[in-house]
Amino acid sequence: MIEVNDLTKVFKKPIRGNGLSGMVKTLFSRKYDEIRAVDGITFTVPDGEIVGYIGANGAGKSTTIKMMCGILTPTSGTVFIDGVEPYRKRRQVAQHIGVVFGQKTQLWWDIPLVESFKVLKEIYQVSDADYKERMGFLGEVLDITRFLSQPVRTLSLGERMRADLAASMLHNPRILFLDEPTIGMDVLVKEKIRLAIHALNKTYGTAVVLTTHDMTDIENLCSRIILLEKGSVLYDGPLKSLKTRFGNIKTLTLTVPAEIRAETAPVLSPEVAVSEEDSRLILRFDADRIPLEQVVQYAFRDLKAMDMKIAEISIGDVVKTILEQQEAAHAEKV
Amino acid sequence: MLKKYKPFLRAGAIDTTAYRFNILIWAVITVCEVACMVFLWLAVYRSSESGMDSVIHGFTYREMIAYVVLTTIFNFVTYNNDTLWNINTDIKKGTVGNYLIKPISYRGKFAATSLGSLLTMTLMFGVPLYAAALVTLGVLGFLPGLSFPAFFAHLGLFLLSGLCASLLNDTISYIFGILCFYTSSGWGLNSLKVTLISFLSGTLLPIAFFPKGLRDVVNWMPFAGMSQNPVLILMMKYDLKESLRCVALSVAWIVVLELFAKLLFSHAVRKVTVHGG
Repeated sequence: MIEVNDLTKVFKKPIRGNGLSGMVKTLFSRKYDEIRAVDGITFTVPDGEIVGYIGANGAGKSTTIKMMCGILTPTSGTVFIDGVEPYRKRRQVAQHIGVVFGQKTQLWWDIPLVESFKVLKEIYQVSDADYKERMGFLGEVLDITRFLSQPVRTLSLGERMRADLAASMLHNPRILFLDEPTIGMDVLVKEKIRLAIHALNKTYGTAVVLTTHDMTDIENLCSRIILLEKGSVLYDGPLKSLKTRFGNIKTLTLTVPAEIRAETAPVLSPEVAVSEEDSRLILRFDADRIPLEQVVQYAFRDLKAMDMKIAEISIGDVVKTILEQQEAAHAEKV
Repeated sequence: MLKKYKPFLRAGAIDTTAYRFNILIWAVITVCEVACMVFLWLAVYRSSESGMDSVIHGFTYREMIAYVVLTTIFNFVTYNNDTLWNINTDIKKGTVGNYLIKPISYRGKFAATSLGSLLTMTLMFGVPLYAAALVTLGVLGFLPGLSFPAFFAHLGLFLLSGLCASLLNDTISYIFGILCFYTSSGWGLNSLKVTLISFLSGTLLPIAFFPKGLRDVVNWMPFAGMSQNPVLILMMKYDLKESLRCVALSVAWIVVLELFAKLLFSHAVRKVTVHGG
């Protein structure tokens, strides 16, 4: 179980002057900018849950993860992993967690993959029987058996990421922190990784904290999401409630005759936003406020639609809307 | 618990010999350096009052040449760790995080690597080089202090003090490496470390040649145990009692420095900033 209480991390960044004179000045007197990367976050993750930890770049996701796994020490607030603070009892906590940073590999670059696993086996003191069992499971769900004897540097990005994931799961951690595990992966590898995370969670009851920018990951894996913006929690709750946060938003994509344009089209109601994309019309509206039936009729009758696709709003759109609203609100304040 | 560090010990033992070309270049450079030092000392003795028979600070010119040759071999075999640079790289590339999330001690990892490398170097280069040097210097009469069977006790203490010297060097490297957390750059720190050690360990000049006040201070510092003392133990310039004192001093310093390193690391790690991602 992870308990995060009022967690804050402030980075000090020296302000450097410009040009040569600025450089000399910096050498003698330093002024610091304070950056509140994480600003009073509180949440709890129970055992066996998969949580999507999302937000824009620089929202503080990775910083939180680094504090949860003991790399960074919080400026204030606390993290407890099964009752232990990771930055105080780093080694004790490390034995029970697994971490993958999508941007960096933790495998030894020059030695065959299987040797990396053997080193990890010794570091984590995994017994022979457990090792065999885990390698069987991971070999199957992540499909890594084929390239076990290759040095890590010769692996493709997708292979390397699967290997990194396997490495983080080798010691059967109770909690797995995955920081953008699908970054730069093709659809097939993404699918494999999702299935593996799912299988791990089902088989061993491992809790997973997943950060990603791929909303398909979130929709496929997470029952709960935590949305972060500028170091604060913006939303924490079930995926479903987030989807209906802005009402029952639907979009209709219409194929229309060439003479019908978004600007000149007859207007049904201000509730329906009309836009144009690739010579198709997009209607966006809240189905709780204006009935779908009425909009469909309008599409066929007034817009002379020849074909139509109805879609629910995607989680990506919701997140985008929330972040846009935040940014607009922020811009107004400034 | 120590079993966890076995892979690092093994890696240290194997990686040491990975760069044969480095060792070859080192050999060429070192032979030149030793030759320079030998000629320098010959000039010093020749121009002193009683000429080649003079004894300067307890060293005849023969002993001085033996000292130069043996410290060179000693430094080659004993100082082979890249701890400072590896920490520097870990900090710069952000890979320090990879170790912080593992249930091992960062210090223990480097100590194990360093010991592995010492083991390989001693067996592969130490044994033949020391044997060749001792036999040659002995036959030429450059090692007048040597007497049997007492030599074997000294050899044992020499090996022990060599282990201490290697650990001391690694700990000091580690401490300087951890200072990189604060400076973000290892360049200046490395130069400082190299200069300090080569001067204060008696590699450049035996500590007996230092002015009185400085000499007394340096003799109680950890550096003398990193080069001069082990070699003087081997040459039997120290009696058994003095040799034991040297080893005890080194062990005490290892304990003190390791404790300091531990405190420093726990402070430094709070300052860690792993950027990006």
